[in-house]
Amino acid sequence: MSLALDLRHEPVSGINHGKLVMWIFLASEIMFFSGFFGAFIVLRNANIDIFTESASELNVGLATLNTFFLISSSLTMALAIYNLERQNKTLFQTFLGVTILCAFGFLVVKFIEYSAKFEHHHYPSSNIFFAFYFLMTGFHGLHVIGGIIPMAWMFLKSFTKKGYTKAHRVEVLGLYWHFVDLVWIFLFPALYLLFPTLHP
Amino acid sequence: MSTSHEHAHGDSKKAYYRVYGALLALTALTVGAAQIHFPHSMGQLGVLINLAIGLIIATVKVSLVLYIFMHLKFDNKFLRAFVLVPVFLFFVMVFALTNLETFHHPF
Repeated sequence: MSLALDLRHEPVSGINHGKLVMWIFLASEIMFFSGFFGAFIVLRNANIDIFTESASELNVGLATLNTFFLISSSLTMALAIYNLERQNKTLFQTFLGVTILCAFGFLVVKFIEYSAKFEHHHYPSSNIFFAFYFLMTGFHGLHVIGGIIPMAWMFLKSFTKKGYTKAHRVEVLGLYWHFVDLVWIFLFPALYLLFPTLHP
Repeated sequence: MSTSHEHAHGDSKKAYYRVYGALLALTALTVGAAQIHFPHSMGQLGVLINLAIGLIIATVKVSLVLYIFMHLKFDNKFLRAFVLVPVFLFFVMVFALTNLETFHHPF
């Protein structure tokens, strides 16, 4: 490598700027969700009866299906980047397309879940558990929508004559998308699963 | 210097599929483990074991995504430290709050 400054990378660490900025953003996102999780755990333990009873009304099957959608989309996102770096245009488009489909699948399932909750008159104002349920899954859902928009843009752009060749940008978006998956990996057990009770 | 790290791990496709399989298996495991009810005689300990299993599985899943999908394993040390410190503090918070509080609130 030449001695000239490579401005695409941070001079000391050698990390790509886009990547470094995304990691800084993700660190702030960890703080954002930490506030929710911290408050959730403390209030859960202070109101364990309300939380256990309300959580038992959630649909674990649908949430498991959503976990499957997000994990699969993380895989296809990684494979989309892998193929773009190797200039396999068709495979890149296929995997990015599947990623977008999985993201929409997640939102559709979330919509079905929310509808069922509203039908049973569970609203954010119902009790402290449902306040957290809607707040945390709602913010997570917004993150999913926030990921779909740039993914769709890159996907559509890849069909133009010029195509989409900026692999480093897809890689940065991939970091964000995997983070959305990470948040769900914690939300799923916290809201749906971890309410063990003493059985006689 | 570090620009070519993407090509340094040519076999990453295999790793992605392996991690995907592990994530699916761990999801099934955590859903299954949550259905186990420990006998009443174990008291608070049974509840703690349930919580600990769920949290440990989630931690393993998160580590797999961070290290393989998000390339931390292949990135430089500076970035790894930068990411792992807040993540570690998050885990400390979750484990500390969960376990201490459970002991103080018999249910």
